[in-house]
Amino acid sequence: MHFTKNVALISILLLLCCFNSKAQENYTINGVVKDSLSGETLIGVTLKFTATTQTGTSTNAYGFYSYKLNSGEYNLSVSYVGYRSINRKISINSDIRLDLNLMPENILEEVVISSEKRNDNVVNAQMGVAKINLSEIRNVPVLFGERDVLKTLQLLPGIKSAGEGNSGFYVRGGSTDQNLILLDEAPVYNASHLLGFFSTFNSDAIKDVSVFKGGMPAQYGGRLSSVLDIRMNDGNKKEFTAEGGIGLISSRLKVEGPLIKDKSSFMISGRRTYADAFLALSKDSSINKNTLYFYDLNAKVNYQIDDKNTLYLSGYFGRDELGLSETFGFDWGNATSTLRWNHLYSNRLFSNTSLIYSNYNYVIQNFLEENNFKVNSSIRDLNLKQDFQLALNNSHNIRFGLDLIHHTISPGNLTASATSSVNEITIQKRKGSEIAAYISDEWELNDRLNLVYGLRANSFYLFGPGNFPTFDVDGNTTSSREYSSGQLVKSYFNLEPRISASYQLNDISSLKSSYTRNTQNLHLMSNSTAGSPTDLYIMNSNNVKPEIADQIALGYFRNFNNDNYEFSTELYFKEMQNQIDYRSGTDLRGNRNVEADLLFGDGRAYGIEFFIKKRYGKLNGWLGYTLSKTERKFNGIDFGQWFNSKQDRTHDLSLVGIYKASKRWTLSSTFVFNTGNAVTYPAGKYQLNNKTVYYYPERNSDRLPNYHRLDLAATLESKPGNKLQSSWSFGIYNLYNRQNAFSIDFRDDPNDASRTQAVQTTLFGIIPSVTWNFKF
Amino acid sequence: MNKYIQNLRFLICSISAAILLLSCEKVIDLKLDNEKPIIVIEATVSNINENHLVRISKTIPFEQKTSFNGVKGAQVTLKSSAGTSVSFTEISDGVYRSPQLRGTPGLTYTLDVLSEGKIYSAKSTMPNPVNLDSVGFKTISFFGNSNIYPMVYYTDPPKVQNQYRNILKINGKLQGDIVFEDRFNDGNAVSDVIIYDGDDDLKPGDIVEVEMQSIDRNVFKYFFALSQIGGNGGPPVAPSNPETNFNNGALGIFNACAKSTKSVVLK
Repeated sequence: MHFTKNVALISILLLLCCFNSKAQENYTINGVVKDSLSGETLIGVTLKFTATTQTGTSTNAYGFYSYKLNSGEYNLSVSYVGYRSINRKISINSDIRLDLNLMPENILEEVVISSEKRNDNVVNAQMGVAKINLSEIRNVPVLFGERDVLKTLQLLPGIKSAGEGNSGFYVRGGSTDQNLILLDEAPVYNASHLLGFFSTFNSDAIKDVSVFKGGMPAQYGGRLSSVLDIRMNDGNKKEFTAEGGIGLISSRLKVEGPLIKDKSSFMISGRRTYADAFLALSKDSSINKNTLYFYDLNAKVNYQIDDKNTLYLSGYFGRDELGLSETFGFDWGNATSTLRWNHLYSNRLFSNTSLIYSNYNYVIQNFLEENNFKVNSSIRDLNLKQDFQLALNNSHNIRFGLDLIHHTISPGNLTASATSSVNEITIQKRKGSEIAAYISDEWELNDRLNLVYGLRANSFYLFGPGNFPTFDVDGNTTSSREYSSGQLVKSYFNLEPRISASYQLNDISSLKSSYTRNTQNLHLMSNSTAGSPTDLYIMNSNNVKPEIADQIALGYFRNFNNDNYEFSTELYFKEMQNQIDYRSGTDLRGNRNVEADLLFGDGRAYGIEFFIKKRYGKLNGWLGYTLSKTERKFNGIDFGQWFNSKQDRTHDLSLVGIYKASKRWTLSSTFVFNTGNAVTYPAGKYQLNNKTVYYYPERNSDRLPNYHRLDLAATLESKPGNKLQSSWSFGIYNLYNRQNAFSIDFRDDPNDASRTQAVQTTLFGIIPSVTWNFKF
Repeated sequence: MNKYIQNLRFLICSISAAILLLSCEKVIDLKLDNEKPIIVIEATVSNINENHLVRISKTIPFEQKTSFNGVKGAQVTLKSSAGTSVSFTEISDGVYRSPQLRGTPGLTYTLDVLSEGKIYSAKSTMPNPVNLDSVGFKTISFFGNSNIYPMVYYTDPPKVQNQYRNILKINGKLQGDIVFEDRFNDGNAVSDVIIYDGDDDLKPGDIVEVEMQSIDRNVFKYFFALSQIGGNGGPPVAPSNPETNFNNGALGIFNACAKSTKSVVLK
């Protein structure tokens, strides 16, 4: 029934669009834009066609563009950060295939003459999006000198780090599980290593990173707060290259090259830490037998069959291992793989079909004889995506498609030897599917007004086999039903409208606004303050409804000084429904009936973000500032009053500066400041069995101290001209050694048991780092 | 078994501290708000023929010297579902004692406290006793520190949800108060190590006393929630007051339990 609605909607939209066609002859120009040295396709390249007016388009995730123009003479300008622009005259009097190769250029060179405008940030209707330039990531200093995409993203307004030692990030007041992280379209469930110290993304292997904080286009769905779309490099199609680095904590290596020149290439990139090598140096056998390491492997192969067909196969494998000599072992990791087929049905209909596999699992082992056990938990996804991009006419670009994903969640499989006092248990697997259909249109109404509007229809199905209890609001079982394999237990349907508009005030400034609805069918179970790799997902069920978020945003965008400076401010307001929290005393480990311990409520978040960036010059960088509030409300917590979310941080400021001091030296610095997390402090104490217990008032009514930190980095490049290029990166994290609070706990004073004291734990003081990087 | 998962944060923090050699703790000065005092009732009734105690106090400000802020003049009554009723006598400020009586497993007990015009009431059902077979010892090394820990041996009744609380005393001094349940070892002969958080290390000659209580589900959830704040159930949770079985805004817990105590000397 729902699908007929969709078909009707799609037909109506198509009809409407056809009526809008102009009477003149129009033709299609299409092609692929690549890096002239490596053959890598380039994502998001701007192509502008100027005649009496100016219109334009950009390349998609595969470097492909397709655009309809009226016949005539145009000036085409092609621009992309980090590359030399192309300007040429073209005549449109038939369909044209125009492939373009852009030459990389040093982004820090001053752009003196710029006849073309680099103002796509002003013109595009898309708002709430941030793109990270990979060359900027290379220069921004981070912890241990490890370049990190996620950590650099957290320097943008609206995106907040979840804190040191904490994986995840918060976008516009949302929680860490409300971010959809895609690596070559495959969802990555745990995007960090070693509890958040490093992200799972090896920046050597990455081509493009975009993050949507709001105004998400209809082809994305599944999480409330953001989409982090990460694309891997395809692999140099022209020559073999290798790149890597040796650092204090980890080392990495990437090898890429052509399999068939200009047609097929591969890329393999790996990284491993050796923190446990230091442990092995100890003479103490209870230290040197411990293991602590992680590794990452990104691999990709692509084959361009012909002009119209290309195949890609990419994979990611990563694992963390923690082991306490012969007592205890804990490991976790993601494995993803994506098979994709690009096909050009015609010069204006591009299709991408993706088949995706994603698996996140963790294993905990206890080796002690009497109570040995092994617990295995996982979430596994099979995903089929079909996406079509149609350049309908000169003012409409349509995108539509299907996204089918099947989840299998194994919450816990506990095995133990016969002599163990622990019983073997298997907590029932859960299977569910999400089927989404979407359609959206990018409509250039006139010279000033651009609109991106669309609809995503999302349906969720929970299947048996298994036993499905229903709980009342107090957590008591009211009924329980047995379902057979494949039998439908529960389904949900949601419509998600997505609308984004930009109105150009003039060449250099615009106003934008957007409204989006997002729903989420997977929910991360985590009641701890820091999050843990053992946190696992559940799906909607007869007890758990889909989370829903509605967000409206308004923005003003302006470029200065010949597009050398970009400025934007965005105001947002978000309302969330069916948010999840936990009853007091909930134990999530191996919990068969976790749904009985859940509380459901609402959330709201609002704020204003400011962003100013200097793009070119010896000195460049940016400043981001967010003023915001995020709150939650649950029956069963604080008598149903609104309380601050843990991640409510009033002020959040990031300042990044990169200075090209000389031909070989680049200096960079980062300063961050944010209000501390909302926390609950005691408001009294009492005695229970001779131990001090604290009395807590309303949740999160206090704050941790403010967090601020200054990092510096300096990179020395080797002399140019050699086949082997290398560089040394020196960095200092937390230059003035500020003892930022990771947590504040309360305990009896060890010297005077009658007094209680507050104890602050800091994770990182000043940390220097050195890395040697090479490329040949 | 739970202990190893319980100590995950300890493990992770130790590891990060070891590799980084960097994390620091320091005592800080915090200005905390103080709520007006709230009544706290700690009550236990057991299957042992003894005097049972109820301690009634009020919360005190954080900065004050920790003390037992006893509440005088309360009326404490214990009723059982079998129809019996006893009154407690105040023996010192805030401490109320019952006559010698033996609680009966299976009965639901109700404790009523009348203080300053308000009545606070709690119910707890005394579980069947589970006997401690014996207490032993085990040496475990964590990161270069080798310590001796007590071990308890008992048989968990099958097909019944059991919750336990181990109160550990070394040489008469309280060293550990830990709750656990039989979710993973139902019906088995259990041998479990008590990883206690008290400061004293076990050395030969020490007298170890383990009191293993069988407690009801609400009492277990109360103590478990309390321990989670300190990071015992994995990474620490956002602190809040554990759910008590008392009504009317009282803090504390009423625990009707079956006790089994064993005392051994470490050789």
